[in-house]
Amino acid sequence: MAAENSKVMSVRDAISKFVYDGAELVIGNYTVGSCAELVYEVVRQGRKGLTIYSQSGIFDVEVLVGAGCVARLVSTYVLRAGGKKGGSAVERAMNAGTLEVEDYTNFQYNARLVAGMHGFSYMQVLEGAIATDLFRKRSFLGENKYRIIKCPYTGKDQLTVPAANPDVCIVHVQRADKFGNAQYWGALGSVAAAALASKRIVVSCEEIVEHDVIQSSPHLTIIPAYRVDAVCEVPWGANPTEVLGYYNIDQFMYGLFLMMDGTADGLKAWMDEWVYGCENRAAYIDHYVQKFGSKNLDGIRCKPYYSAPANYGSAFTSRWDKDGRERAIGMTLAEFEQTLKERGKLYE
Amino acid sequence: MSKPYTLQELLVIAVAKEIHDHENVILGVGLPTTAGALAKALYAPHATLMMESGIIDFEPLLPLNHIADAHSCRGFSYSTDLFSAFTMTYRGFVDVCFLGVGQVDKYGNLNTTCIGDYYKPTMRLPGSGGAADFISYAKRTVLTMLGGNFVEKLDYFTSPGYLDGGNSRDESGLFPKGSGPTMLLSTKGVFRFDPVTKEIYLAQIHPRVKIEDVKKDVPWELKIAPDLSETPHPTDEEIDFIRRFAPAMSAGRELAMELMIANLMKQSKG
Repeated sequence: MAAENSKVMSVRDAISKFVYDGAELVIGNYTVGSCAELVYEVVRQGRKGLTIYSQSGIFDVEVLVGAGCVARLVSTYVLRAGGKKGGSAVERAMNAGTLEVEDYTNFQYNARLVAGMHGFSYMQVLEGAIATDLFRKRSFLGENKYRIIKCPYTGKDQLTVPAANPDVCIVHVQRADKFGNAQYWGALGSVAAAALASKRIVVSCEEIVEHDVIQSSPHLTIIPAYRVDAVCEVPWGANPTEVLGYYNIDQFMYGLFLMMDGTADGLKAWMDEWVYGCENRAAYIDHYVQKFGSKNLDGIRCKPYYSAPANYGSAFTSRWDKDGRERAIGMTLAEFEQTLKERGKLYE
Repeated sequence: MSKPYTLQELLVIAVAKEIHDHENVILGVGLPTTAGALAKALYAPHATLMMESGIIDFEPLLPLNHIADAHSCRGFSYSTDLFSAFTMTYRGFVDVCFLGVGQVDKYGNLNTTCIGDYYKPTMRLPGSGGAADFISYAKRTVLTMLGGNFVEKLDYFTSPGYLDGGNSRDESGLFPKGSGPTMLLSTKGVFRFDPVTKEIYLAQIHPRVKIEDVKKDVPWELKIAPDLSETPHPTDEEIDFIRRFAPAMSAGRELAMELMIANLMKQSKG
């Protein structure tokens, strides 16, 4: 690949270029390794009227909904801070009439993206949900939340969901090269499907690595370069959530967020300090260390437990052996060319 | 007599005993993950522990924060995706799964979505997550109800138990025959489902709890097993495992939080 194919850019540029008002935006990460910095930048740029897809709409969705970026939410699971006495941005927005929510099960949500990823128009899901209010109670998708079709082979009723092809996916991974090959490992969840179903993909990563690192471990690449539009190197980019091999969940910062998220004023104060108050992730980490010291962050850095390398090697990488002879026909290049000439295969 | 235990320890043990050796187990967040670790250590060494995030066949070294927590084990044996975790359940490869409960009705149908109106909720709960699909297709489902309620009618029907009771689940044609919830654990006792009517009944009562205490939480005339037993006193081995593996679980959420905050305060002063 040529060097001019580099897609490396700042988070600010990536979000401003690819995430626009009214877009369908999918959060690529599922529960872990949330693309926190990309989410914060969407908030800082004040995007409005988004339709958010999030498999587990917890931290990410609370921040986006709390900031007033979201008109519609497609999810399977939302956060509630502080138990029965607490609340959430989602609950507050539903009651204020500013947010519509379409509920699915984990599998159904993922199936919509899998259908989109493969270019299908719908996906069969597990029919048990026909018995539930998930099937009966519908929000903005109405008739198109689910449809029942007859299987042409067995004649049985099948529950289906429509494909989803969001306008843009934002996703955090462990590492990527500058071309956009994104490597992710751990809880695979629905990360690949969310990215590959989308029309545009913005990747943030803990580190940008040499292309050779990617080539020697392609089994870890979940999004190929040709699908990626932007690569942003953002160390600590998922804090307060965790990234396998880099850092654990930050119970302290997550706890601080949960303590504030229960009320609208609390969440606003938290965002004023940690989202609007920090222009990028480096500023956020600086502020963190200044306020609380570096002990928390140092304490959650991962110790190494490396994957055993998979050997992608082969017996040889040239048709010509160490003596310069072709491995099958035993000739040197000069002998080979002489033979081509003698047999009348060459034209002047 | 073995050493004194906490209520949470008793609950974890009751759940862990629902896991049998050689079974494939889907663990949910919270109490079930500690129960899974206990079962694997003491009762079911050949069980395969799984989570819907695609982490399959793992040995937890720390209590799990959630169902995608690969930081709490040292690697794992099979890394698949969420889609495949559910299709393997659909195909019948999952023996038992564990779900939390917001509201439960007489036939083990569940609500984990909302209290009050769905569109303008009094309280918005998490939602289905994996629950509706797991209880549909796992061979057995164990319900853990720590903060939830028994109700006549669910505010929202998230996950199917035995529908209208009797044969209605099997007759719907939507579920594998014989599947459904098999046990519900509360802080007061262990409940099971009548094999014919599928109505929930009290099968086992925790020490120091009176039947009247259980009945007052249930808005219908709760049936009691004729051979009602008391949840057995945990063994030293069980208590030691839980207390070392997940001390916060032994303490319970409230006390663990209080102790954690006290420690943070102490550190910030030091």
